[in-house]
Amino acid sequence: MERLPLYGYRILDLTTAGAGPYATRLLADMGAEVIKVEAPNNGGPLRSDTFNHVNRNKYACTMDLGQPRGREPFLRLVTLSDVVIEDYRSQVLEDLSLSYDVLRSAKADIILVSLSSHGRRGPEKDLMADGPDIEALAGLTAISAYLVGGPQKTGVAYGDAVAGIAAAGAVALALWHRRRAGEGQHVDVAGWETMVGLIGEYVVGYSMNGRLPQPLGNRHSSMAPHGCYACVGDDQWVTVAVEDDEQFAALCRAMGRPELAADTRFADVVSRYRNQEDLDGIVGEWTRRFTPQAVTEALQAAGVPAAPVLGVTALFAGPHLRARGFWESVSHPDAGTWDMDGVPWRLSRSPAHIRLPAPRFGEHNDYVLRGLLGLSEGEVQELVAGGIIG
Amino acid sequence: MTSLSVLRVLDLSEGVAGACCTKLLAGFGADVIKIERPGGGDPLRRHGPFPDDLPHPEKGALFLYLNTGKKSITLDIGQRTGALILRRLVEGTEVVVESFPPRWLTELGMGYQSLARLKPRLVMTSVTPFGQDGPYAGFRATNLTAFAAGGQMAVTGEPDREPLKNGGYQAEYQAGLHAFAATAVAAFSADATEVGQHIDLAGVECMATALEPYVSSWAHQRRDIGQRQGNVEPAPAGLTVQDLLEAPQLRARGFFQEIDHPAAGRQTYPGAPFRPEAMPWLAARAPLLGEHNEEIYCGELELSREELVILRAGRVI
Repeated sequence: MERLPLYGYRILDLTTAGAGPYATRLLADMGAEVIKVEAPNNGGPLRSDTFNHVNRNKYACTMDLGQPRGREPFLRLVTLSDVVIEDYRSQVLEDLSLSYDVLRSAKADIILVSLSSHGRRGPEKDLMADGPDIEALAGLTAISAYLVGGPQKTGVAYGDAVAGIAAAGAVALALWHRRRAGEGQHVDVAGWETMVGLIGEYVVGYSMNGRLPQPLGNRHSSMAPHGCYACVGDDQWVTVAVEDDEQFAALCRAMGRPELAADTRFADVVSRYRNQEDLDGIVGEWTRRFTPQAVTEALQAAGVPAAPVLGVTALFAGPHLRARGFWESVSHPDAGTWDMDGVPWRLSRSPAHIRLPAPRFGEHNDYVLRGLLGLSEGEVQELVAGGIIG
Repeated sequence: MTSLSVLRVLDLSEGVAGACCTKLLAGFGADVIKIERPGGGDPLRRHGPFPDDLPHPEKGALFLYLNTGKKSITLDIGQRTGALILRRLVEGTEVVVESFPPRWLTELGMGYQSLARLKPRLVMTSVTPFGQDGPYAGFRATNLTAFAAGGQMAVTGEPDREPLKNGGYQAEYQAGLHAFAATAVAAFSADATEVGQHIDLAGVECMATALEPYVSSWAHQRRDIGQRQGNVEPAPAGLTVQDLLEAPQLRARGFFQEIDHPAAGRQTYPGAPFRPEAMPWLAARAPLLGEHNEEIYCGELELSREELVILRAGRVI
């Protein structure tokens, strides 16, 4: 088996929540040595379930970057590293005397990735928005709504995930550039901009016609039926999307209503779209007699796109991710053993897995201070006494 | 300044996810060749909105946006002649991106194993809703059904109403963004080690990794906290697309770009997803269907124009 793609690359992670840890999780999964640098003495952020999921495969050390004597070991660590990732407010790195120029004077080709909502430049660079707010800022919320009712945010911290994936890609590109050009660079990741990129067709469409898009609920701009239908059981739902005449005929047969395919209300795509209210009623009456899984199986067998709305328990219990080995058992010295979501980037030559549980607070101080920096016992004790680490 | 210009990418994908992946690679300079089926080309060309609401294969906003900076050639890889041409193209390629149903390319003799024999350092990214194996691998899916199966729909919307899909094609874009980052990592690695990879990206797995704290709470404590909550407070509707175009911060940063297109005219597009100071983001238009047939087939593969005519008559291109 080959080495993981980022084996041998060291990333210093100054981020604590949101997009940053998600980005470094993806990079750590790919084999990078990600070292979380945490402030000493406060025990760090709560070692919660979420912390343990998002920080697996990482190392952790403590250093007080606010003190000059803390900066010194950090900058020495920078000389041994490839990438620094941070998500502070725009002035904080400068205030800590750890601006990109300072980092670069420690290591000429260091890569710095700065994650923020609004970006490192511009009149609003000091404003901050978290995941759900980024959705609203980026125009996604305005187009996410039931047909009747106000806009809805996505139920996950979508803006954080999106910025995190972008930051992981940015690290790969910056490493590419460093190999070609022999230099590092500062990358500005503004989650707001990344998110706008995921509704880009609405921007181009508005540019064409000057019309604001209207929320469609679960409907589509051309497919019908296209919706979420109640099934047997409490809060059980299935989604169905019909792309063309053939799939509609198959749906009608699966529902035991083959005559509907020739019904003038539904006989062609335009009629179906115009009469989708009626169609939704018919489909919903059928689905409510079955489980989401039974509807899905019947429609997939007929060649119609359908899938259950999976909540977290069904996602876990379901056969598909289990069969793909997505859930991986992890043992953590404090938290015990449980199944964790695995590595989403499935590589054929170097399959990646969860190698390490999330680090305890300061767990790798020894590795970093003695192992990497080669500090003596006396020097380490001095740092501990000075409250720089520990 | 550098770019990914030495990175040749063949994009065999159809749909939003694969197109998003290669759009971002093209934006940072990769030489992306989009391979479209002869006749109508990429089905995304059928999607609106269109200028003046008049459908036209070169004017759909979704296609124009997702294919900036790419070249387009037509090729029917389902025909033997087309497959042979594809194999020649792969020899000069670093990355292949595809989104076919699992095993389809393998059945045509163009699975990763056989393409990697032509090009050992090839990175092939397969981005599909459910991945290459597992009981749901062959499932037909759209953005809606993938969003439902990836766990994000169950937690979106009001508790007493049906789960809600968010706007646009977020299940697909999310997978596409993952595909871009994973491909960039694997291509960077292959560039140094000459070791290629086949990347199996399942949209549902990508979505499941963003389900915190729901997944960790259930996984560790068997506590299901993934109920729909709606908006805890009346959610601000947020910015409209018009507000975005006028937002002082985005304007000051020069985020939006004007791109001219011979059929669709001059329109406004979002710019770079992130800003590496030493790698410029290129704002180039989407290609016309088969616009680069002559450049690639005659210029690179050294086919004659006469041969192009024969290929066209055979519906290969």
